Amino acid sequence: MLFWGSLMKLKKISHRKLTNFVWAILGFFLAFLALFFQVPGFSQQPVTIYLLVRALEAQQLQPLAQQFNQQHPEIQLELIEAPNDTNRVEDLYTASFLLGNSPYDLVFMDIVWTPKFAAAGWLKDLSGYLSPEELEQFLPGDIQGGMYQGKLYRAPFRSDAGMLYYRHDLLEKAGYDPPETFDQLITISQDLQQQGLSEWGYVWQGKQYEGLSAMFVEILQGNGAFWVNPETLEVGLDQENAIAAVKFLQQTLTTKISPPGVTTYAEEETRRLFQNGKTAFLRNWPYVYGLALDSPIAGKYSIKPMVHAENQPSGACQGGWGFGISATSKNPDAAWEVIQFFMKQESQKQFVLANGYVPSLKSLFNDPEIVAKYSHYPELLTVLESPALRPPIPQYAQASDILQRYLSAAITNTMSPEIAMKKAAAETRNLLAVSK
Amino acid sequence: MNNQKTGWILLLPALFLLFLVFLYPISRAFVLSLFTENLGTQLEPVFSGLANYQRMVGDGRFWQSLNNTAIFTVISVSLELVLGLCIALVLNQSFFGRGIVRTIAIIPWALPTSIMGLAWAWIFNDRFGVANDILQRFGLIETGINWLGEPGLAMVAIIIADVWKTTPFISIILLAGLQSISQDLYEAHKIDGANPWQSFYQITLPLLMPQIMVALLFRFAQAFGIFDLVQVMTGGGPAGSTETVSIYIYSTVMRYLDFGYGAALVVATFMILITTVALVAWLFNSYRFKS
Repeated sequence: MLFWGSLMKLKKISHRKLTNFVWAILGFFLAFLALFFQVPGFSQQPVTIYLLVRALEAQQLQPLAQQFNQQHPEIQLELIEAPNDTNRVEDLYTASFLLGNSPYDLVFMDIVWTPKFAAAGWLKDLSGYLSPEELEQFLPGDIQGGMYQGKLYRAPFRSDAGMLYYRHDLLEKAGYDPPETFDQLITISQDLQQQGLSEWGYVWQGKQYEGLSAMFVEILQGNGAFWVNPETLEVGLDQENAIAAVKFLQQTLTTKISPPGVTTYAEEETRRLFQNGKTAFLRNWPYVYGLALDSPIAGKYSIKPMVHAENQPSGACQGGWGFGISATSKNPDAAWEVIQFFMKQESQKQFVLANGYVPSLKSLFNDPEIVAKYSHYPELLTVLESPALRPPIPQYAQASDILQRYLSAAITNTMSPEIAMKKAAAETRNLLAVSK
Repeated sequence: MNNQKTGWILLLPALFLLFLVFLYPISRAFVLSLFTENLGTQLEPVFSGLANYQRMVGDGRFWQSLNNTAIFTVISVSLELVLGLCIALVLNQSFFGRGIVRTIAIIPWALPTSIMGLAWAWIFNDRFGVANDILQRFGLIETGINWLGEPGLAMVAIIIADVWKTTPFISIILLAGLQSISQDLYEAHKIDGANPWQSFYQITLPLLMPQIMVALLFRFAQAFGIFDLVQVMTGGGPAGSTETVSIYIYSTVMRYLDFGYGAALVVATFMILITTVALVAWLFNSYRFKS
């Protein structure tokens, strides 16, 4: 009896509960319907374009993004802040692409990512968007760096290149012209050191990291050597002139024109030495110019294209950032609108004036307003006109890691240049052959 | 017969789970390691036999990372074992506030590794780090040491951080073992005239052997696959001197998108790990039978 009673009670409760439940379901259903009726309204909302950028640069791009959003009510550009470490940003983009449906419409790319992302099929071909005449207006290295197998995947935004900084005051005192060749660099440095004008002669980036590869492509080009031919996938690291390039680096250490610690220096360490007046020559990127204006050597330094061997061209390692469109983007045309806005002259000019970066449009280097603020930009253009590209192959990251290991071993004397380059070449060939 | 059948049926769910989380991924990695699947093949798998393994033999970076991993594992696990045993012996004594001390002692192990890795990276920072500050205050060094920037020192820093982090794990396991040893044994031994050292060598150590083995195997497997601490503290640098096998695998898969070769690296590492564990277990067994 008791059992039945409790069951009845239970039934009563569950009946009440059931009614509540039905009401709840109906409520949800109505809410859902309301949501559906909202949908047409949604589609009239602006499309949102997402872009993942390093936090630091996102702040610098923000003014331009705001202008864009004001001018284009139908498109909303949203910058998503990523870590400041470039490799982490690359990882984030990679992870999002590997998942198959990237949440980012636009990809803000370092020049060396282009072949990898393009070969993986993650980027949209942009060739159709730009005419040859339009491409002509940009620095050749920036366009080349955005191409993969004859198609454009990256639209250039800001450029970057390696160059030689020198102390013109010291050279004048000692009666020298700026050096053109590797040998001149060494003899002038030695003389300046002997005369006590400068503690060190030449400072460069010798730490085992990407900057080492970037610096080395300039020495390779200056010796008429090459790393990997992107078309034939031929590897040139063990050829005689490539070994000569390594020997030049070794020579800077044996002749004591470079401090022994140079094999552990990245950009910043070398910049500090130059700014503190400890060295006469420095290989570095354009950013040093602006920073050194606030230092004891202000007004005493100039820039020029990198030194090279006799009868060989000079090489400036091409860097820089640009935009690609993710292959899975649902709004590629809106994304292209954004790119166009960033590429155009007024935007680049504003960005360069505010942040001191290097533009990719050739015309801006002689722009009166820019020259008034950065007097060295016309010279910078001559540097940028002899670009040395890091091999645009999809496996670049791997190839660069191989080179860094062996080059580092050679300049720290744990391996002879011949053996190091032979091994580096063999491993690179292995990598490219296996991948083929 | 019927019992055996029921036994198998009852085992099925566990076997299925094992298959799902162990056997399938491992065999998948093994199959993938026989293919070339990377940017050169547009990320499509192309059968290439043992080419990936051939490449591994000539890959200096793989051997270097294996070497780094071995050095890290051997040094950190031995230090942890010695320190963990000492801590366990102390915690096994009865003293005031033992419960609280035992709880505090396991805190490092309970904290998330990557966050502690960040903290250790700051401790070893060359300019603002506590490590340099302490050494300077004691007058041991004049200028700050660049701990994470020098190949040898970076490894030392990582080993110290790992020892701090995982010694508690070993001491907890050993403490459990110590508590299962009957006090009567020690008393009897004492009456026979043994001193504390002799009791330690003749009673504690042999009876603690099973726990030591368990702790060692656990720690060995974990240390061999270390990733988070290294990734946060040095990222494998400087000059690849702290690059462990898992960091290299991560680079191969995530940065180089070389899935086939990455799988081959995984399989090779797995084989090395299994062989070592089997070898240690076999040595331990033969040792036990002898004594």
